[in-house]
Amino acid sequence: MFDVGVFLNGILEILKVVPSTLLLAVIILLLAIMLGSIIHLIVQHKVPVLSQLIVVLQSFLRGTPNVVLLYFMFAALPELLTIITGSLGIPFDANKINPVFIVIFTFSITLSVFQSEIIRGAILSVDKGQIEAAHALGYSFWQTFTKVIFPQALIEAFPDFMNSLLLVIKGLSLAYLFTVMDILGQAKLLGGYTQRYLEAFAAAALIYWLLCIVLTKFANKVEFKMREGFH
Amino acid sequence: MLSIRDLRLSFKENEILKGINIDVNKGDVVTLIGPSGTGKTTLLRCINYLEKPTTGSITLGDLNLNYEKITKKEILTLRRKTAMVFQQYNLFKNKTVIENVMEPQMIVQKKSKIEAYENSVEQLDKVGLIDKLESYPSQLSGGQQQRVSIARALALKPEVVLFDEPTSALDPELVGEVLKVIEAVAKSGMTIVLVTHEMSFAQKISTKIVFMDKGNIVEEGPPKAIFEDSTNPRTKEFLNHFYMNKLHVV
Ligand SMILES: Nc1ncnc2c1ncn2[C@@H]1O[C@H](COP(=O)(O)OP(=O)(O)OP(=O)(O)O)[C@@H](O)[C@H]1O
Ligand SMILES: [Mg+2]
Repeated sequence: MFDVGVFLNGILEILKVVPSTLLLAVIILLLAIMLGSIIHLIVQHKVPVLSQLIVVLQSFLRGTPNVVLLYFMFAALPELLTIITGSLGIPFDANKINPVFIVIFTFSITLSVFQSEIIRGAILSVDKGQIEAAHALGYSFWQTFTKVIFPQALIEAFPDFMNSLLLVIKGLSLAYLFTVMDILGQAKLLGGYTQRYLEAFAAAALIYWLLCIVLTKFANKVEFKMREGFH
Repeated sequence: MLSIRDLRLSFKENEILKGINIDVNKGDVVTLIGPSGTGKTTLLRCINYLEKPTTGSITLGDLNLNYEKITKKEILTLRRKTAMVFQQYNLFKNKTVIENVMEPQMIVQKKSKIEAYENSVEQLDKVGLIDKLESYPSQLSGGQQQRVSIARALALKPEVVLFDEPTSALDPELVGEVLKVIEAVAKSGMTIVLVTHEMSFAQKISTKIVFMDKGNIVEEGPPKAIFEDSTNPRTKEFLNHFYMNKLHVV
């Protein structure tokens, strides 16, 4: 019934795509954090027009399943790029867009909204007294940010960033729909090849789970290290 | 050396400071006393622009500023000539004691690491914390933290140090060690503006007492003139009230 040999082989095969899946997830997370910081700044400083747009975007992204967004982007982005490049007179073939870029683009935009909230919370969590102390000591706005706010906010945000990373890794299982190979995609391929879907998907599930455990352990270690000495 | 003219400040509709004039000479220890909610903290925080006055001007050494037209650069200059010790110490909790004292010197005054380290060690020695250099604030008592914050302030060699109720957050048995340090700072000739409810301490170290009530300066003068010889009814009421409460507590 359950072929252990196929299952173990499946694990080995799927492990091969773990590094690239991880890399993709990390790239998406980093982009989302960067975008999230910009969103935070725009909202914080109530930049006209942009901040209202972001409110709409937030509500839209919250209310739309990721898979729908992905389908939408895969349909819309090539069209959009064709129009833009066409009007600029740049030669461009929409069929040659690497789907990985669209996946990265879509995921980092979706995630950035949540990152901006994490960033906001982390910055708010920095003790106001220490910020005042920095001001009183003569720190400039930028010095206060880089030396006092950022290091402490980062520690606060780190567990949430790691959580987001896990969400991305799991979310990337949608990417195989668009020919981007990740853990699930690899399992599906393998299942088709060996005609043993049960073992292939069992291997994929186990790898997701192990990955989650390992990353959580790693995150806890890093956080502990960062907090060493103070609470 | 420090003078404030016609300082006014309102939070929304409420006028909290109603035209304050203060003069502090070099080496003075000026103590602000008065009922709770009178604006002592707010006034102190106007001196380094942690609060934004509505109108008024300040002179500090060769710096002469109008609060209404103050620029970012002037705010920094003002803050770099002053230092503040807060009720809640406000140490950087992710930094060790020595880092807390060194970092501002390196960041604000661009001192080299070695220079900052030597100066920090000297200051920390003065406040009796030479054996705590590598501790984090959370590992120290309130009294020790406050002494670090005093060392951090003094390490910048400010022209005036502002103390806002530096012992109010402390357990009673830790108040003495901090007052001793402040007294030593005063004796060293440092110019000080202090807010405190420690009346006998104020009487002992101050060169001038300023009694405030409801956003105004009611009366000012040498400690004896205020604490013993004042004929002003509001001053007398406040002091009577204060000592009455003290007696009840004890
Ligand atoms: N940020 C603020 N916004 C609005 N009102 C404020 C603010 N800060 C202080 N106040 C008000 O200003 C008044 C003066 O406060 P302040 O803290 O200066 O008094 P204080 O004399 O230091 O009192 P205490 O002895 O209790 O420390 C109070 O009525 C207080 O409620
Ligand atoms: Mg106060």
